[in-house]
Amino acid sequence: MSKFISKKDLNSWLNKVREGRRLIAPTKVEDLVLFKEISRVEDIASDYVNTDLSPKEFLFPPTEVLFSIEKKDGGVDLTPARVEKETVIFGMRPCDAKGIIALDKPFLEEPADPLYKEHRDKTILVGVACLKACPECFCSSMGGGPDDPAGLDIMLTEVKDGYLVQVLTEKGKALMPDSMLSESREAKPKAAEVSKVPAEGINKKLRQNFEDPYWGRLADRCIHCNMCSYVCPTCYCFDIRDYPNKGKTDRVRSWESCQSAGFTKIAGGYDPRANKGIRMRQRFAHKLLYFPEQFGVSHCIGCGRCVKSCPVNIDIREIISDVQKLGAKGE
Amino acid sequence: MSNNKNPLLPHLATLQNVIDLTPDVRLFQIDLNDADFKAKFDYKPGQFVFVSAFGTGESPFGLTSVAHRKGPIEVAVRKVGTVTSSLHDLEPGAAVGVRGPFGNFFPMDQFKGKNIHIIGGGIGFAPLRPIILTILDHRNEYGDLFILNGARTPSDLVFANEFDTWASAPKTRLELTVDAKDDKWTGRVALIPAVVKELQLSPANSVAIICGPPIMIKFTLTELKKLGFADEQIVTTLEGKMKCGLGKCARCNVGDKYVCKDGPVFTFKQISGLLEQF
Repeated sequence: MSKFISKKDLNSWLNKVREGRRLIAPTKVEDLVLFKEISRVEDIASDYVNTDLSPKEFLFPPTEVLFSIEKKDGGVDLTPARVEKETVIFGMRPCDAKGIIALDKPFLEEPADPLYKEHRDKTILVGVACLKACPECFCSSMGGGPDDPAGLDIMLTEVKDGYLVQVLTEKGKALMPDSMLSESREAKPKAAEVSKVPAEGINKKLRQNFEDPYWGRLADRCIHCNMCSYVCPTCYCFDIRDYPNKGKTDRVRSWESCQSAGFTKIAGGYDPRANKGIRMRQRFAHKLLYFPEQFGVSHCIGCGRCVKSCPVNIDIREIISDVQKLGAKGE
Repeated sequence: MSNNKNPLLPHLATLQNVIDLTPDVRLFQIDLNDADFKAKFDYKPGQFVFVSAFGTGESPFGLTSVAHRKGPIEVAVRKVGTVTSSLHDLEPGAAVGVRGPFGNFFPMDQFKGKNIHIIGGGIGFAPLRPIILTILDHRNEYGDLFILNGARTPSDLVFANEFDTWASAPKTRLELTVDAKDDKWTGRVALIPAVVKELQLSPANSVAIICGPPIMIKFTLTELKKLGFADEQIVTTLEGKMKCGLGKCARCNVGDKYVCKDGPVFTFKQISGLLEQF
């Protein structure tokens, strides 16, 4: 027996969820499907395979004020930013929940990032299992799966007229109590078939082939657009700057990309990663070697968004396969 | 680590004094406003802080003072970018922010009983000053102290007002060198690696601590190795682009290490073991 909720009951639940909270869900924006704040439940898209962007921005916004600085009477007042409302992110795919597990690692590691932690504590994640996969998907090779509920508070699986429900955490239970659910004998539908990538042992292969000319050749066609980092659910490099704001100053954190020229440039002009081959190597070494060794989870969750978005077809799946075929230098 | 609950929020502080060290380097003496935080603020040679010029931003600077002297926090700042220019515009009494201390430190305990060679180029000399002050204040715990301070021109030598004190300390030798002399300079005109070669520094029971521009570090390292210094006898403090100091922003990531929390102090043995070479 599984728990079940009808589509009609789910919609009235979503309407209730919106009261006093921010409801974020996939919605159509021209020809894209993006996570947006929802004011009418009817606007939630349902016929998407995956959203064009992950919900990363609701936990780690592209630009966010950390605190404001006000100079007065010769002194300075600092006012840290707070997260006001609870947020429910509805309709995310299992890969993006894995992405949030990965984001948690650096941000919640002690000393925790206070603003991220506040966002995280006040956010409830409701996922929907994948019954279809994109051609670019490869989650099951990166430690996830189309019906893997890890990281979610509530997981839904679409069946006829409704959803099978897994309530996974206390947060989830508080939002969707058992009393709302009925029992169903309906069999769990088969999850999507996802393409495979030979990612097993890629960290070792990367280490062995770190100095290979492969990286330079690959990067020759990169045009520094940083789209890969922008669409990535796990990229978390950031910049911090002061910006004037109506007589005060905001100290603002914003997304940054290791693919940008100048990402590592230090005072005096020295830049240890001045060429794009080693910048590209950094991106893949961080995702597939450093981060997994540091935190025990992959930093690529196999969503395929960078593959879909790269204007010059730099394809992480191809890179994983290529690096596996490089020699075993250094051993 | 800061005891501030929010590690990205600076502690308010006041510029107590600003001293010109060279035409483009100023020493900032900073007093922490919060008495409790000030009482707890302890740091070791090699650690660094972020200093905020409110309205412009913040940057990391190696502490050039020592905690045991109980004075204000000191950083030597070369005017080179936007934050450092804003700091240079500030006058005593101005409000600044301090986060830290961050990073690891020079293993002063392991240095005890050894001969210490301090080799600093330009503003790279600033984070080495705490080693000198620590040795001078505990003089019999360490062996011979050799100090080599080099700069582009004589007026670019930092901490010139302390040279006499250092040179006259027991078991201490100070050598100065410049890339280009001026009318008054009667001292050495040579690049730091050449001086290291000429003076035939001895690796016996010693450590060499280098900091300076990457090119100076590279060639000094070569000379030290020719003289027989092993990689584990050579220590440096790395510079990295940093935004948080907490191992989160990923800007100072080198190989699988972060300069901010695994460093900034590394031996060359540790550096040569890093996957990526900076």
